[in-house]
Amino acid sequence: MKKVLLQSAVTAALSMSLMTTVNAQENSSLDIGRLAIAGYGDVTYISQGNMKDEEGNDIQNNVVARFVPIFLFQLSEKIHIEAEIEFSTNEEGETETELEYANMHYFLNDNTIITAGKFLLPFGQFGANLHPSWINKAVSNPGLYGGHGGNGSLGGITSILGDTGISIANTWNMGDAGRIFTDFYTVSGPRQEEGDHGGGVEMEVKKGDNNDSMAFGGRVAYAFLPEWEIGISYYTGEYSDDGDLNYSAYNIDFNWVGSYASVRGEIFGSTAETEGETEAEVEGEHGEEWVKDFDKNGWYIQGTWQARQLGKAWLNPIELVVRYSDIESDFDGSIGHDFEEDAGKMGSRIYYGINYWLEPSAVLKLGAESTSIDNEGAGHGGIVDDRVFLQLAFGF
Amino acid sequence: MKLVKLLLPLITLTISAFSVPAQHLSDASLVAKGAKVYGENCARCHNARPAEEYSKKEWSVVIPHMRAKAHMTGKESLAVEAFLASTLTADVRNTPSHESADAPKRTGAELVTQFGCQGCHQLKGEGGTLGPVLDDVISDKGEAFVLQKLIDPKFNNAASAMPKYPMTKEDIAAIIEFLKQ
Repeated sequence: MKKVLLQSAVTAALSMSLMTTVNAQENSSLDIGRLAIAGYGDVTYISQGNMKDEEGNDIQNNVVARFVPIFLFQLSEKIHIEAEIEFSTNEEGETETELEYANMHYFLNDNTIITAGKFLLPFGQFGANLHPSWINKAVSNPGLYGGHGGNGSLGGITSILGDTGISIANTWNMGDAGRIFTDFYTVSGPRQEEGDHGGGVEMEVKKGDNNDSMAFGGRVAYAFLPEWEIGISYYTGEYSDDGDLNYSAYNIDFNWVGSYASVRGEIFGSTAETEGETEAEVEGEHGEEWVKDFDKNGWYIQGTWQARQLGKAWLNPIELVVRYSDIESDFDGSIGHDFEEDAGKMGSRIYYGINYWLEPSAVLKLGAESTSIDNEGAGHGGIVDDRVFLQLAFGF
Repeated sequence: MKLVKLLLPLITLTISAFSVPAQHLSDASLVAKGAKVYGENCARCHNARPAEEYSKKEWSVVIPHMRAKAHMTGKESLAVEAFLASTLTADVRNTPSHESADAPKRTGAELVTQFGCQGCHQLKGEGGTLGPVLDDVISDKGEAFVLQKLIDPKFNNAASAMPKYPMTKEDIAAIIEFLKQ
């Protein structure tokens, strides 16, 4: 039923696009280019002197770096191609390479864009728009987007940040009443995790599709620019190898941006159907098969304030950041169980930071973060997960 | 798969149906509109970036990327492109010079409109909120501060997104006189 609704919404969006009065892509006398390189990068020192992994071993301080060029090509006024590749060093000093996205935009008319290829899913705001280090006001990610360092005590809610498929985006301008943004897409979808414990949803980098089923999703947002934007996202797809187990996720995001301050946040949840079998009453026979829900829910809120509001010239480059994330997961409504490592957790993460802006797109960040797992018996429960960061991030 | 099968013919038909001849752009208010769109959209995710970070040709390629990211319409992204291009000259430093003898004199009000100042600043209750209100900026900050800010927008804040406009010294004097009123 949910799929049918999404399919109907996509068809409606396309139909409305076709009904829109088509204005010519107006040509200009401006200089027209063909290629541009943009992107971002960072170098981060992480101090984690008291941090230990689940076996009690020390986790070393380290320095990591990233260089993430974005290649932009303008084939014509209607066709634009973009690709982002991330080169990074990990904690072991090895170089890692990952294709973040590679796609083509077709500007169908004044307010409709069709995108095909690998793209960042319009699901919430952080994954799609806010994660680049010079844009992300903090050094780390909100807790619900995963550990990304530390001892991994706080598993992320989802891995559905980028995928391959096709999307249609529309902008509906309502004049003084604001505007509505819609995005609908179909992509190859989540995969089943390899393993012998039943296999949950793969949270690592995807390797490709594993079944004949496509995933569907979309985001509808209302914006009253320049200050407000509120969006609702939904995603659903079959993730198991035989296509009989569903993964779905929702997200509600909001952004308020003022002249000196901003407040952002997301409420985020996912449900993965998980199958198993009860213990057989008679040895050698199969037990009763079951399908139960593995739920993860969380939220974060982030506030920033620019000290230039105080009118002192020496304070102009300084910005303060605080972010709180909360996450909990349960299996079939129960916190306590041993089905999966990340199941049955209640955790939180708080980040305090001070940023010194060197340029509009270059910032030196000093931040401290503490992650805690609150329920006894959970993986990493009671283990110190505190970090101090120093990061130089730049956009170019 | 059914959806893809459904969409592909529609998209193919649509692409072929929307071959529209290009028109030449000559809207005088485009720069002001672009400044407004720039002020309203860039800071939704990140600090607004000054025009001088890319060349005109680079902006013409970067803006379509941002159009998709920010859900701007085609007309809006073209206006932003026009606004950014209006602040860039062959002299990347945009060093203020004296007016050439044959250039028409422009009033402060005309210059504020031409450069799209109200895309980011409020003036008499109208304008954006990315930058500070300009009504009392001369009395609050002093004429010397505003003069220096127009010559070098980053002199007091390295992270300022204010473009370094291609102004003459006469332009700057006219804007200051206008802001005094």
